[in-house]
Amino acid sequence: MRYFARKVAFFLATLWAVVTLNFLIPRLQPGDPAEIMVKRLAGKDSQLDPAQVQAMRAMLGTPDGSLWSQYTGYLGELAHGNFGLSYTYYPFPVTEVIGQAIWWTVVLVVVTQVLSFAVGTVLGAYAAWRRNTRFDSVVTLGSTFLGTLQPFWIALLLIYLLGYTLGWFPTSGGYEAATPGFNGPFIQEAVSHSFLPALALLVVTPIGWVLGMRNTMIMNLGEDYIRLARAKGLPDRRIALGYAARNALLPSVTGFALALGGVLGGAILVETAFDYPGLGRLMGEAVENKDYPLLQTLMLLTTAGVLLANLVADLMYGVLDPRARRAQS
Amino acid sequence: MTTATSPDALLEVDGLSVRYEPKRNPSLTAVSDVSFSIRPGEFVGLIGESGSGKTTLGTALLRLLDRPARISEGSVRLDGTDITALSEDELRPLRWRDVSTVFQSSMNALNPVIRVEAQFRDVIEEHSGLRGDAVTERVRELFDMVMIDHRFIRAFPHELSGGMKQRVNLALALALEPKVVLLDEPTTGLDVVVQHSILENIRRLQREKGFAVLFISHDIGTVLDLSDRILVMYAGRIVEENDAASLLRDPMHPYTKGLLGSYSDPRAETVRITYVPGRLPDLTKDVTGCPFVARCPERISLCESVTPAFAPLAGGDVACHVARVQRGGEVDGLAAADVGEPTRRFAGPEFVKTAAESTEALTRPALLSVDSVGKTYERRRGLKVERTVAVDDVSFELRRGEVTALVGQSGSGKTTLARLITGVDKPSTGRIVFHGPDGEQEVAGFRGRALRGYRKHVQMVFQDPYSSLNPAKRIGQALERPLVNHHGLSGRALRDRVRELLETVALTPTERFVDRYPHELSGGQRQRVVIARALAAEPEIVIADEPISSLDVSIRAEILELLGSLVREHDMGILYITHDLLSARMLSDEVLVLNDGRVVERGPTLDVIRSPRDEYTRRLLDAVPNPFG
Repeated sequence: MRYFARKVAFFLATLWAVVTLNFLIPRLQPGDPAEIMVKRLAGKDSQLDPAQVQAMRAMLGTPDGSLWSQYTGYLGELAHGNFGLSYTYYPFPVTEVIGQAIWWTVVLVVVTQVLSFAVGTVLGAYAAWRRNTRFDSVVTLGSTFLGTLQPFWIALLLIYLLGYTLGWFPTSGGYEAATPGFNGPFIQEAVSHSFLPALALLVVTPIGWVLGMRNTMIMNLGEDYIRLARAKGLPDRRIALGYAARNALLPSVTGFALALGGVLGGAILVETAFDYPGLGRLMGEAVENKDYPLLQTLMLLTTAGVLLANLVADLMYGVLDPRARRAQS
Repeated sequence: MTTATSPDALLEVDGLSVRYEPKRNPSLTAVSDVSFSIRPGEFVGLIGESGSGKTTLGTALLRLLDRPARISEGSVRLDGTDITALSEDELRPLRWRDVSTVFQSSMNALNPVIRVEAQFRDVIEEHSGLRGDAVTERVRELFDMVMIDHRFIRAFPHELSGGMKQRVNLALALALEPKVVLLDEPTTGLDVVVQHSILENIRRLQREKGFAVLFISHDIGTVLDLSDRILVMYAGRIVEENDAASLLRDPMHPYTKGLLGSYSDPRAETVRITYVPGRLPDLTKDVTGCPFVARCPERISLCESVTPAFAPLAGGDVACHVARVQRGGEVDGLAAADVGEPTRRFAGPEFVKTAAESTEALTRPALLSVDSVGKTYERRRGLKVERTVAVDDVSFELRRGEVTALVGQSGSGKTTLARLITGVDKPSTGRIVFHGPDGEQEVAGFRGRALRGYRKHVQMVFQDPYSSLNPAKRIGQALERPLVNHHGLSGRALRDRVRELLETVALTPTERFVDRYPHELSGGQRQRVVIARALAAEPEIVIADEPISSLDVSIRAEILELLGSLVREHDMGILYITHDLLSARMLSDEVLVLNDGRVVERGPTLDVIRSPRDEYTRRLLDAVPNPFG
């Protein structure tokens, strides 16, 4: 129990540190967003009008007062879920903008990642079990080859082949005419629109799991407990699953949780290629438009996601590997 | 082949050969034409040095060989069924029910992520009708048999100590009351006392339950203690077979004599142990003549050309021309006059230690004085400070030309003392004084340059010669490093000194060793290189921390002899750390027995061995296998 309590405490402490850094970094950066915006509106060479800057500050809600009072105010606003207004989608609050995009990404990413992990691990485990057979060579060589390709390049290929040439799937956007919500036509459109992005991700993402699982499991197959399991006359299936794969899975599980947290980054290019209305595209827009509140919130969301994934990985590892529980408590 | 046809055999091995055929390396025959049998309830020992093929043989008997190894010839009959001809599916029901095993150093034989109980449950449910509580009940019985508390049934493997794991493995092997249990070095790497109690346990259970055992080991002492009959293996062949008593009384093959020579009665005034020099022949090449010929002190010219047949002689079986003719057998082209009388002794290199030598050594001037030294480690846990007393009030003197042994189990404070003496840690109480070239100096007072200077005088030799040499560096390079660092040698002077060092540790002719890599040397030769490296700094004191415990018993004397000659010829002092009283007797003049950080016994080694006063010392002594006692 101590192990789990420690892990949760560590998570909370890191989360606090992340929030604080997220607060500090923009304030330590040179330049004033209001000035930059006014400059951009007014043109490069014109004089800055202090009144305009002041007005811009008021509009953006740029804070004043001491750093400490700003900080407490910031924490208070965070606690109330108030992340400010987006510049790009002014005057919509950031939370609303993100709220619309997040489900697209979460569903796309979670589905493809879970599928990749399952497919990759099973393929890798089977390749290891039948190592040095034709199956193993095909899987290993195939993975290594596919691993050199980039998801966005595959995305372009898919758009060309399945989208334009064959016309089986829509190539951009998230849906067409249906009203967003939980209704048949919308879900159908959403699924057909997310098919190509998902496929683009699915070609590449399982590869890490295939190779990782295969290599760890081959190492595990050399362990004494596998030899003993064979000497015990247990059925192959039991040795492969309960002994070899069960142990080989441990590093993959940590990797998987981490991949879920960090996947936003990888989805940006694919989302952009398909003009998919998710967080990746949103992040691209935020960078392009210097939309500080949106960008900051996305950053916070991503880091919190990674941290949360880390916590889940640690907790799962504790459940799966009894040695970890003792070693650290 | 007396045994291959015996009608009541339980396990019958006939003409078994195992070949390794790797794709990239030359193939070799690891086991060639091995035949023997085991009767129900018989305890058979299989001995041979590392690399002799005994583990490969064991693995073949279990049909667990992995590619590139395979059974190339012969049969293994279990209760009349040839298991080499069975498919994996036909074999599975026989596994564990008929033949079970405890692996070599099976620290890793239990699945680390599954509770111990589940690892009993899966095999019991697979092969018997027991289910549910009946299985738990059976596991309890088994834990009682190996004397482990029931609360560990629900434990994970990492929660067990090394000795407990091995007992659990033994219990697991007996779960289905098999007919044969194969024990492959089941206690190697464990503490002597633990080792002793596990072996007793095995022997007692074997008598009670009546299963047959094939016990594989490199340690002829333990094998003789336990076995009814013994097989001696060399270079993949069985070279001698006999019942234990006859083998001890009249060993026929010179290799057997060599193995026996590594034991001697530690209580005797003069102790001599021998060792088998050199290493196994290269099995990737065809062996002409006797495979042991290069290392054999009794060889004659016939041995170089004609491979001796393994055939019955004087109640046993042996593959040796000389032994055969000596005992009235017939060998083509050899007359009784060509060979001498049969001997029991191995006429190879030996190491002798007399009581007189020790008495003399103990009068020499002191080199290092350890004066009521104590060390307490403090560890902060939250607000509490935990204190561990690692060493408590230890005093002794190390003299020039003398060896002091620190004997004790793991955790008795031996290593902490070594750390204090090398100046890595400072004692909490008491003082350690070095009587060096610059007069008396307290070790705890050394800082910076002075500490580095002191370390030149005190060198360590570690336990494992396999991991203390960089595998990517040639022997010469490994020895050059300390010479450059400590003495700033270069060019010709450096090369000459490397050659001298190799000569000191008897790796001659030196040009054959300078450009070798560590993996090309035997374990004993590697440990010689490690010692040569320690000598490079020209130390006054060598701390040898279990320098022989990872070596085969049959070559341990080789290293002991080297250390002994260094003390005599180079006027240095050796602090010999060990858990083995026999080797302490061989090497040391004075012994300190440590238990829980305290000295429980101290005195001239022979006195302590002959009349131990402390209970703990007696337990350590009992744990030394003594086939002659």
